Amino acid sequence: MNGDTMSSTMQNDASNLTADAVGETAHPLALQVRNLDFFYGKSRALHNISLDFPERSVTGMIGPSGCGKSTLLRVLNRMYDLYPGQKATGEVLFDGQNILAAGVDLNVLRSRIGMVFQKPTPFPMSIYDNIAFGIRLHERVSRSEMDGRVEDALRRVALWPEVKDRLQASATAMSGGQQQRLCIARTIATRPEVILLDEPTSALDPVSTARIEELLDELKTEFTIAIVTHNMQQAARCADQVAFFYLGELVEVDSTARMFTTPRESRTQDYITGRFG
Amino acid sequence: MSASQTSTRPGRAKKSASRAVQRKIMDRLATGMSWAAMLIVVFVLGSIIWTLLKNGLPGLTASLFTKSMGAPGQDGGLANAIMGSILQTGLAILLGAPAGLLTGIYLAEYGSESALARAVRFVSDMLLSAPSILIGLFVYMVLVAPLGHFSGYAGSVALAILAMPIMVRTTEDMLRLVPLSMREAGIALGAPKWRVILFICVRAARGGIMTGVLLAIARVAGETAPLLFTSLGNSEWSLNMGRPMASLPVAIYQYAGSAYQDWMQQAWTGALLVTLGVLIINIVVRVGIHGGRT
Repeated sequence: MNGDTMSSTMQNDASNLTADAVGETAHPLALQVRNLDFFYGKSRALHNISLDFPERSVTGMIGPSGCGKSTLLRVLNRMYDLYPGQKATGEVLFDGQNILAAGVDLNVLRSRIGMVFQKPTPFPMSIYDNIAFGIRLHERVSRSEMDGRVEDALRRVALWPEVKDRLQASATAMSGGQQQRLCIARTIATRPEVILLDEPTSALDPVSTARIEELLDELKTEFTIAIVTHNMQQAARCADQVAFFYLGELVEVDSTARMFTTPRESRTQDYITGRFG
Repeated sequence: MSASQTSTRPGRAKKSASRAVQRKIMDRLATGMSWAAMLIVVFVLGSIIWTLLKNGLPGLTASLFTKSMGAPGQDGGLANAIMGSILQTGLAILLGAPAGLLTGIYLAEYGSESALARAVRFVSDMLLSAPSILIGLFVYMVLVAPLGHFSGYAGSVALAILAMPIMVRTTEDMLRLVPLSMREAGIALGAPKWRVILFICVRAARGGIMTGVLLAIARVAGETAPLLFTSLGNSEWSLNMGRPMASLPVAIYQYAGSAYQDWMQQAWTGALLVTLGVLIINIVVRVGIHGGRT
């Protein structure tokens, strides 16, 4: 079979589907990815991706390892910029601006599009300072206001009751699940508009995972969320729309309900039912 | 692989039994050799400390710390040498630490694999293994000969040059141990690179970096050769670093080679003091920094 023809047909289908899904949810778009290609040196990791992220909803990104879903996530906050040799072409529209363009203030961009990683990454400082660190980067706040912001962030991730008596204790001494919730608190404390989560629960036990999934449900009332996950049940539970990636291509995107009941692509069906990946 | 799979059951059992014996013998052998090697090292160290204690302790009197060096038979002390060592080592670290730490940060965070960074790393590693007497001669040429006199400052500069590469190496190594994910997490919050380095990476590596500084102190506190050509030594009490200055290692060198009984006694005691000082620094490193962290 001719691979090129197949992929281009699929792209068309995918963008049509995006439009459908968006029409259904009727949310304005927070992020629009248009014809995105991504290269690690000479090797191409993403092929002509177009995908919309509706505001205040959860977009789940699934697919086998190495299919490019984490790569796409790292494009959305220009994380790839840290590494020479990585290059993105195309457009990512955020608030009317193409964030891939030269001259974008990356520190401001990253304060508006936050990211939570697979492994919890508490900074080597106190619980309080972990949260204050991000706020201090972008705002000047008084001592009492900072206390309030820290408490608020910790309450939002349901960590406050557990740590309110040891805010000055080292964050690295917390459990993995607590650390991950701290990282989420740290991200939302800077008041971003979008939160990117890269397999945020794959290093956590089932109880901590459940807590973070509950948390996502609350957070989406206020933030736009993009989550990469290897866990199909997690995508089904948390996401409003799901995008399936395979070999660097966006195969299909649709509302979660339709994606898991009547996928249009046979490859999506194969992956969801566990036939590969 | 396939051969053992197709072999009969009893044959396989015999084979694995003989292999188990073989493994046990190898295990014992390796353990035995490790123990022997360890005992040799501990014996050497123990014998040094024992000799120092035996010969040094009798001279450990209060006047050693209160009186300056004197002529043979005049019942002098080592107060000026102890003070000289503290001043010169202290200034050496004050001079060397900022340059050493900043160079280490540059190599780990900014230079990485660039041509300049490679060159700096190579030169620093060469300096690390350069004979210390060469450093002494170098400082003599640039600071002592042109100014026309020996000085404590020149001694400090020589010691700083020796201490710097140690701190460069440990700082770079420790920063490289900070996981990439920690840096990315900082960047993802919108922190500029310098803030991530200063407030996250250096903080995460501070235990290791402090260890490097203390080890550098321990290393240069016992150096004799670089001081012979720079601060020379001084038998009077002096806090003026612009003049020749006494130091413990030079005093030991001077006294140990003499023919006088009381000087030789003080050389032993001085050696004991230097060793105890280094030992204390190492204990502080072990207990204070590594023990304090986890």
